Amino acid sequence: MPQIEFKNIVKEYEPGNKVLDNVSFTIDAGEFVFLVGPSGVGKSTLVKLLIREEIPNEGEVLFDGLSELEVAEGMETSLVSSPTSVNVPDLPYERLPELRRRIGVVFQDFKVLKSKNVFENVAVALEVGGASENEIREVVPNVLSLVGLAEMIEKFPKELSGGEIQRLSIARALAHEPDVLVADEPTGMIDPKSTEEVVRVLDKINSLGTTVLMATHDNTIVDSMKKRVLRIEEGKIVSDKEGGKYSE
Amino acid sequence: MSKHWENLKTVYVRERFLVVSNVAVMTVTFLVLGFFLSTAVGMQTAIRTLEEQAQITLFFKDEYLEADILALKEKLIGDERVLSTRYISKEEAFDIFTDINRDEPILLEAISKDILPASLEIRAAKLVELTNLATEFESIEGVEEVKFFKDIVDRFRQWANIVYIVGGTLVLIFVGLSFAVVMSTLRLTINSKGDEIEIMKLVGANDDYVKKPLLFQGVFFGLLSSFIASVLILIIFTSVHFFGIFGATSVLVLVPGVKIASWLFLIILVVLLLLFGGGLGYLGSHTAIKKYLKY
Repeated sequence: MPQIEFKNIVKEYEPGNKVLDNVSFTIDAGEFVFLVGPSGVGKSTLVKLLIREEIPNEGEVLFDGLSELEVAEGMETSLVSSPTSVNVPDLPYERLPELRRRIGVVFQDFKVLKSKNVFENVAVALEVGGASENEIREVVPNVLSLVGLAEMIEKFPKELSGGEIQRLSIARALAHEPDVLVADEPTGMIDPKSTEEVVRVLDKINSLGTTVLMATHDNTIVDSMKKRVLRIEEGKIVSDKEGGKYSE
Repeated sequence: MSKHWENLKTVYVRERFLVVSNVAVMTVTFLVLGFFLSTAVGMQTAIRTLEEQAQITLFFKDEYLEADILALKEKLIGDERVLSTRYISKEEAFDIFTDINRDEPILLEAISKDILPASLEIRAAKLVELTNLATEFESIEGVEEVKFFKDIVDRFRQWANIVYIVGGTLVLIFVGLSFAVVMSTLRLTINSKGDEIEIMKLVGANDDYVKKPLLFQGVFFGLLSSFIASVLILIIFTSVHFFGIFGATSVLVLVPGVKIASWLFLIILVVLLLLFGGGLGYLGSHTAIKKYLKY
């Protein structure tokens, strides 16, 4: 059973203007998938649909990541597509925090808290989930170490480079040990050297078992990584290749 | 809890002007509300007091004998429209007159007890009976003059109604205004924290986590404003009492039929204002936040 399944997704922000037109694909647990295509073709919309920042007009977004107990508590049986898979758009509002702790998200514009230092930025992700102080003290240094920021624990975002800030946002996304890490154009605002660092970190995370879905229009990264490439154009999936290249 | 206080301190440091102006507007609202409630209770008390006064006074001709007046009094007691009667003889009238005008020796010298008429003070069971009774009394033999306070009571009622309507409208306007100000202030705070809230929601914060500190702020500012207004009202009332206008032991009519001491009324007023302040703060912030949680 796939971990993520987009099934016949149609999304219109304005009536008659389809950003996504009958999009279907699946992602298995542990995969690293690039979602490529020019700007404005619906890559970010797919990411938003997965974390339910947006709701599709038609179709289903199935996610196999919430435990049976969580599903049983929060949803009617009819909304559950398989014993553990849920249709994200049908997920009750109050269950969103759980979904968003199972799917870590990295944004192009970082979305870090400027008034908090590196440690606090990661800690906040655990705090909102009700983690104890001991747990926070234990987990935060570990994830910061994973992204290579262990030495910068006291620094504030304004003291970091673009690449470091993006790695900080990756660390925050990893704090809950999510099943899936979604990166929406994570290298869009950083220099090539930092881009390499960020991609290396994402690859490392994937090798540890986390599914990674990365939306990008950076052909250099895609071509060098040789991972599965989903190409989207004018709201439709036009190609889906294992070990593919950006332009294929 | 200490985290909420820390947040509050941050809000004050960052948005001092906004916080002060918000608290000021809310304080004025609660002051108006407090004064309106006091005025309403004062009016109610005055109306009841007026109603309890002798409502009709019959003055008798000198030749009408006391025995006849007392016979009339007995007769009136049997009338169900009459609540009570009180006979005031010429002597008693003179004593009352002397007592009232004890600082006017020239006036007292000029008046003898024969000049003042004997009278009957009559309280009607219902104010609506006043006019009929007064007309009937005018035709009784020996009655020289009938005085009754219907006009005064009616006029006072009219004014009281105007005060209720204007005061009530003012309070409603101020409550609406205050609600809007609380919401706008919190919205500005939320806007300035918009990114933070969005990020928190995206990393899995539930609504309570985001809402609690903002609700705490709203309730705190509401309570603070109503507390300041209460203190101001207490200072003003105490000053008024000090100058002898408002007696601390005087009895007020809270609602028709319920009389309480003025100090108890002040306590009730302060409690009401504090409850209202906290409630408005909660409701205002709750409504303001609601809009920002829908993502």
